[in-house]
Amino acid sequence: MADESIGAGQRTTAFVISARKRAIQKVSKKVGEGMLLGVASFVAIVVLFIFYFVARDAVPFFQLRGFTEFFTSSNWYPADQPGQFGALAIIYGSVMVTFGSALIAVPMGVAAAICLSDILPFSVRQYAKPVIEMLAAIPSVAFGFFALVVLAPLLQNNGGPMLMWAWWILVSPFLLLGVLVVSDLLTNHVKDPQHRKQLHMLFLVVFALIAIFLLYKVGTLLYGIQILTGTNALNVSIILSFMALPTIVSVSEDALQSVGRDIREGSYALGATRAETIVKTILPAASSGILAAVILGIMRALGETMVVWMASGNSSHIPEPWFNYLEAIRTLTATIAGDMGEADQVTGSARYHVLFAMGLLLLVISFISNLVSERIVVRQRKILSGQ
Amino acid sequence: MNIGTRKILDRSFTALGIGSIVVMAIALLIVLVPILTNGIGAIFFTGTVEHRKMLLHEFKRGDSETLTSDIASSDRYRSKVYQMLTGFEAELEQMPPEKKVEYKAKYAQVKPALQALLGPLPSDPEPMLTRFKYGQTRWEKAEEKLHDLLYESKWDNSNSNVMAKEYFVSRAIGFQGTSLAQLFPYVKDNLEHMLLPEFTVYWGFITDSSVDSHFFGGIWPEIQGTFFLAVGAMLFAFPLGVIAAVYFTEYAKPGFFNSMLRSANSTLAGVPSIVFGMFGLAFFINTLKVSESKSVLAGALTLAIMILPTIIRAAEEAILAVPKTYREASLSLGSTKWNTIATVILPAALPGILTGGVISLGRAAGETAPIIFTAAVSVGSAIGLADVFSSPTPALSWNIYNLASEHEAASQIRHVQYGMVLSLVTIVLLLNLSAIVLRARISKKLKG
Repeated sequence: MADESIGAGQRTTAFVISARKRAIQKVSKKVGEGMLLGVASFVAIVVLFIFYFVARDAVPFFQLRGFTEFFTSSNWYPADQPGQFGALAIIYGSVMVTFGSALIAVPMGVAAAICLSDILPFSVRQYAKPVIEMLAAIPSVAFGFFALVVLAPLLQNNGGPMLMWAWWILVSPFLLLGVLVVSDLLTNHVKDPQHRKQLHMLFLVVFALIAIFLLYKVGTLLYGIQILTGTNALNVSIILSFMALPTIVSVSEDALQSVGRDIREGSYALGATRAETIVKTILPAASSGILAAVILGIMRALGETMVVWMASGNSSHIPEPWFNYLEAIRTLTATIAGDMGEADQVTGSARYHVLFAMGLLLLVISFISNLVSERIVVRQRKILSGQ
Repeated sequence: MNIGTRKILDRSFTALGIGSIVVMAIALLIVLVPILTNGIGAIFFTGTVEHRKMLLHEFKRGDSETLTSDIASSDRYRSKVYQMLTGFEAELEQMPPEKKVEYKAKYAQVKPALQALLGPLPSDPEPMLTRFKYGQTRWEKAEEKLHDLLYESKWDNSNSNVMAKEYFVSRAIGFQGTSLAQLFPYVKDNLEHMLLPEFTVYWGFITDSSVDSHFFGGIWPEIQGTFFLAVGAMLFAFPLGVIAAVYFTEYAKPGFFNSMLRSANSTLAGVPSIVFGMFGLAFFINTLKVSESKSVLAGALTLAIMILPTIIRAAEEAILAVPKTYREASLSLGSTKWNTIATVILPAALPGILTGGVISLGRAAGETAPIIFTAAVSVGSAIGLADVFSSPTPALSWNIYNLASEHEAASQIRHVQYGMVLSLVTIVLLLNLSAIVLRARISKKLKG
């Protein structure tokens, strides 16, 4: 065919019929591209607007009341005359449930991601993924309703036994594995195989007895605990962890899959088991991506409103002692949601602006953590592709 | 470490991974099963004659002849109860003063319990609120109320170290020796004749509007409000999102400006949902004044901003997944870039783009926080399409919160709350399921 010999530059001119039409085409192309660019920059404009409009209503609060009270006092009496706006306990409540949910969601999420990317065969993975997607799709208010109506009464009435069972089921496998590993490591240096075997058995029995004693003692201690209110930080942490899980799983799975096959195969070739390959080779290589996943998951928990509003008890005080997850707490998001209705009628008062100050705090935290996690992902991609 | 230990560690590591996925699946089940089993009870339940009475009076539905005969037969059993009450009241007058005070206090608890069970007594004036006009419409609730009538609840505070425990004292024993003592066994034995329970399928739960803040009736205003909000949000966000995705994938040149736009996109995706609500209040309502106060329009705009990043990402992925050969074939036929995008790439990417749209639709339907300040009201009837620019609407997600946490009788209307949660979860999961199916078909098609 004759066309094959025509170069790219010639081809474009070949189809243009007249100079006028060409000019129109050029202009319309520019206009079209400009419009596309306009729409695409809409997102950036929206982000700027969000920052501006939240900050605009937050600044008057700091002008009126300064920073000290907001960040250092726990006295939250916005309806009083004059109002007190100490948000320390509320910020602490947010931190508490976020930390609690991360404590549950991070190990589980990373383990599940490893399982999805390295352990399960493809046929099983196909069915596991929709489970995670459905967990992500359930509306937060449905989770909140579950926490309030199902989980809270359960915790309140059978809190002690539930804690004991959770302790036994979750901790006993790890403790027993720990016993195995520790006794193995302690006998490693013994040369004589006969002697080593005996010593190994001895250590095993001794440590296992200690572990079982520990399990039993803490278990009975937990059994005796009476939970005064089911709407507490523990309840919220459990539910929030399930909401953060899908994010953590999918982002860390991406990170794990971006670690190449060659790294895995190199480790297997050196005689490592699958667990050793994952823990010592793949996890370190994917660590920054997993960190990004954790940050995103934590943000999901920190920014969640409905669950904490419905099931945290909304009591603005720092628990006694500070790590007591069985007490009611209050978070930033729940305070905004709950107080806006009353504060909106007095637009312009410190009571209205303090909520925007909280919103600004959330916005800034989410902005920073987003930037950080994005940088981390970009850096990891660069490092991995450089190898 | 010796080989045995290493093997055990390896196995338990696998078990840990599989275990955590199993835990997630179980968590999903634990959340969904109570919602499903209790939510179905909002439509399928054992309804009493009071329910049929309510339907006829409030919604003009049902056969009035059978109802009249039902009411007549139940009244035959009820009249005895009312006779006992009047008999006891007469007896009360003749008692010595101390006894009279004692029994009057006890009797003051019996009467409301009976009213809650059977509806207003013949001697009562017509109640103002609809909720007091009828007795228990659901049989399982009637059984609860029967328990309230038969037993008095008391709290055991004797041991100050443990929490107070509830225990029950039979009321019949309290009235021993008076004519009212026979009331309790009589009601217990004849409750079925008084309420005539039968299996009821109440599809009206979905299509009726609510009566007296959800004590009776259905959830149609909420479903309609959710529909308006979600579809409204899609109308704004979907075209914008697809166009932005076309720009990002086809036209954007790598550089500072482009990476800034992308950062903005991921920042927007990470903004807490409640902050969107604040922004909607401060911008759309207080600054732009798109409406006087809360409105569907303001809520839909706020939701649109929230789901925009999701749509952009999904559309980008779908466009990038279109095989390069399609594009090259089209360009080699001499079509322009724009022509290629409009006639080849977008149609090929459409199923993928729709998948993202459907998931975003589900998210918009399920979100609560952004509409609290911008669109949602707790009570209200269904609004017309013309009112979306000016009036707020009830919505499933908001009303679930409202009924569960702020309703004055939240524990009385659990079945309505469960029904609402089930409706919302069903809508959202069906949308997601269809997205999953759609995606599976696409990947099959792309594989060839």
